[in-house]
Amino acid sequence: MAEETITFTLPDLGEGLVEATLLDWEVDVGDHIARNAPLVEMETTKSAVVIPSPHDGRVVELHAVPDEVVRVGAPLVTFAVAAADGPRAGIVGTVPEEESRPRRRVRLTPPTE
Amino acid sequence: MPQHASVGRGSITVDHLPPDLARELYRHMRTARDLDTEAIALQRQGIFPAYVSVRGQEAAQVGSAAALDPARDFVFPTYREMAAAQAYGVDMVGYMATHRALWHGGLYDVAASRFGAVNAVVGGPVPHAVGWAVGERLRGDDGVALAYFGDGASSEGDVHESMNFAGVYGAPVVFFCQNNQWALSVPNEHQVAGGSIAARAEGYGMPGVLVDGNDAGAVHRATVEAVAHARRGEGPVLIEALTYRVEPHSTSDDPGRYRDGSETERWRRRDPLTLLREAVIAAGHAEEDALSEIDEQAREEARRIRDGVSNTPEPEGTELFTHVFRETTDEVARQHRTWKEEVEP
Amino acid sequence: MTELIEHTADTTTGPVVELSMQQALNRALHTLLAENSDTLVFGEDVGTLGGVFRVTDGLQKTFGTDRVFDTPLAESAIMGMSVGLAMNGWRPVPELQFDGFAYPALDQIVNQVARMNYRTRGAVPMPVTLRLPSFGGIQAPEHHGESLEALFAHTPGLKVAVPSDPGEAYRLLLQSVRCEDPVVFMEPKARYWDKRPVELAEPTEPVGTGRVVRRGSHGTLIAWGAMVHRCLQVAELAAEDGVELEVLDLRWLTPLDTDVLAASVRRTKRAVVVHEAPLTAGLGAEVATRVTENCFGDLAAPVQRVTGFDVPYPAGPLEPQYLPTIDRVLLAVQRTLEY
Repeated sequence: MAEETITFTLPDLGEGLVEATLLDWEVDVGDHIARNAPLVEMETTKSAVVIPSPHDGRVVELHAVPDEVVRVGAPLVTFAVAAADGPRAGIVGTVPEEESRPRRRVRLTPPTE
Repeated sequence: MPQHASVGRGSITVDHLPPDLARELYRHMRTARDLDTEAIALQRQGIFPAYVSVRGQEAAQVGSAAALDPARDFVFPTYREMAAAQAYGVDMVGYMATHRALWHGGLYDVAASRFGAVNAVVGGPVPHAVGWAVGERLRGDDGVALAYFGDGASSEGDVHESMNFAGVYGAPVVFFCQNNQWALSVPNEHQVAGGSIAARAEGYGMPGVLVDGNDAGAVHRATVEAVAHARRGEGPVLIEALTYRVEPHSTSDDPGRYRDGSETERWRRRDPLTLLREAVIAAGHAEEDALSEIDEQAREEARRIRDGVSNTPEPEGTELFTHVFRETTDEVARQHRTWKEEVEP
Repeated sequence: MTELIEHTADTTTGPVVELSMQQALNRALHTLLAENSDTLVFGEDVGTLGGVFRVTDGLQKTFGTDRVFDTPLAESAIMGMSVGLAMNGWRPVPELQFDGFAYPALDQIVNQVARMNYRTRGAVPMPVTLRLPSFGGIQAPEHHGESLEALFAHTPGLKVAVPSDPGEAYRLLLQSVRCEDPVVFMEPKARYWDKRPVELAEPTEPVGTGRVVRRGSHGTLIAWGAMVHRCLQVAELAAEDGVELEVLDLRWLTPLDTDVLAASVRRTKRAVVVHEAPLTAGLGAEVATRVTENCFGDLAAPVQRVTGFDVPYPAGPLEPQYLPTIDRVLLAVQRTLEY
């Protein structure tokens, strides 16, 4: 079966949170995990939550270790999934202003005076 | 009006319900439960920015919504009425769109559904129910308005003013309070002076009913009677359905900071879904196999809604300007052009 | 030449610690409750829970349930009760949980809190500080991302403060609660979690003083709250193009610091005011007018406004298209350069 890899980035677990501490992984690299099975336990300034797996697939890479502080939007785990596994998580809920390099389309012309 | 306490401790009965209705209540509650579980997962997976769980309140919502006539009546919800929407026949992909933040208020057709837009102002929609109901009376129609609100909202001036208005006008309103005992972090004893919301009905000259909110059959019977009372032109009724918010206020909340987990565990064990399932079998309304089949169908339906809302396209930026007015202004049109020139991706 | 202004210019020397705005506000409330036993903190979920943004975390434990307490869910009563407490000699610091829920309390804020001192010819002062988590940028539900500053600034008798970073939040809250007049203290939710070094020191500049956050010579960006951060991003990008922008953080919207506005624009000759609230009758109009009244002869171009649109605050995916974008601010700057 065709596989593709999908990297799940840390979503904003509260309203406007920018980071969370990784408490414990519920999976190891190589494990198969079902959608909504416990994936990882994270702690924010508001609460500790278990993130259920957003995909049915095989864990290819864990991008953080326990006690590590992970920024919202940073890679958390990469899955290998059957192609076209549905919507990709991690696109909603980040704080847009925290881009390391703000995006622009407009260039300025300095004044000549 | 009688009080509808459930029979026995920790058990309920649905002997008084027609078998097909009992099974329908179960189907809606099961579907709402599965959808709730999917929704919490979607929040943690980054699809929903936030979600408010209805877990534990399915009997109060489904039992009451199923007592209404979606062709004649009108529901005024808050932001935690997913199970009521499901039972009332609302397009649930459109309903859940509010939790994906696709559109405040949701993407379902409020007018056609006769189910108000999701509303985050606590107590704010309750006066709307009174106005809608007065409008029915003025036209000579027999629709009933049902306003959902919580124990927290019962403290708001809007709710008290609404009850007084409804009493003064004899408006056909059912004030349906889901008392889930926690207004975010504040418990009933610090919220409700006198300890009873139902008792307040007396002061406004309407019947007040306290019902076990985890007993779907009792909630249904109480609401059927209240709706009939209002439809007969005998005025408003206040129902207080006592239940419990077993999940956090929202996915951004941490109840460990303010309440004892053992209390929550006790209420989790008094699960309205389990109670109804046992009661349906005890009443002989359905066999185990038939309920398992409903379970499977509910799971499928919840997944359909989950995938539907996950795959709904985001609204186009141009929709920022579409519904500000019915008859737009030159200034809004000018700003729309600015958006096209300076922002449109 | 670009020069970043140190944030400690208006403070006495104090210990410097790295804090988020939410933590800095918590420190300030701790200081205020400790220094004056008349100070009371109350609102929905501020006690046991410590507030939905944890700004009041731990205060009830330290100062007791008489001085830090939860209220029932009723915004109008929270503000009305503040009036009565103030009449009886207390110093209330109520919280309304989100900007949109200040609307149900507007009657008490506008008709009562704001004019009690005037109505009683000074016999009944209202040292009430309303803490209000405000503005957008966090993809929150409806009514959780509103910008009410123009309503408050338009209400005679209210002072209005808006911090833009943790250090400002600490000092402005100290000033607001100590002030003898009512203050609406608008906390930009989008900046709550951003950590910065904070000097825990007494404010030395008076109420109503704006500040220059970044020096520049080709134009002035004027903002408050989270838009100060946005303007600093723009100034950084503009510098890559050889355009040096000055950034002003007004901090106080009432009283508005016309002197800092005029002094800056007289030098730079160009002004762009940036806010999240809708354009029409927004505070940008007031700022633009004051600049024009004071610097008409110096202006090289009309004052530009970059604001939210005249539409209700939108849901998640549309939010970034509603709020002033970097490109919109850059385009406004370019218009002033080309005029």
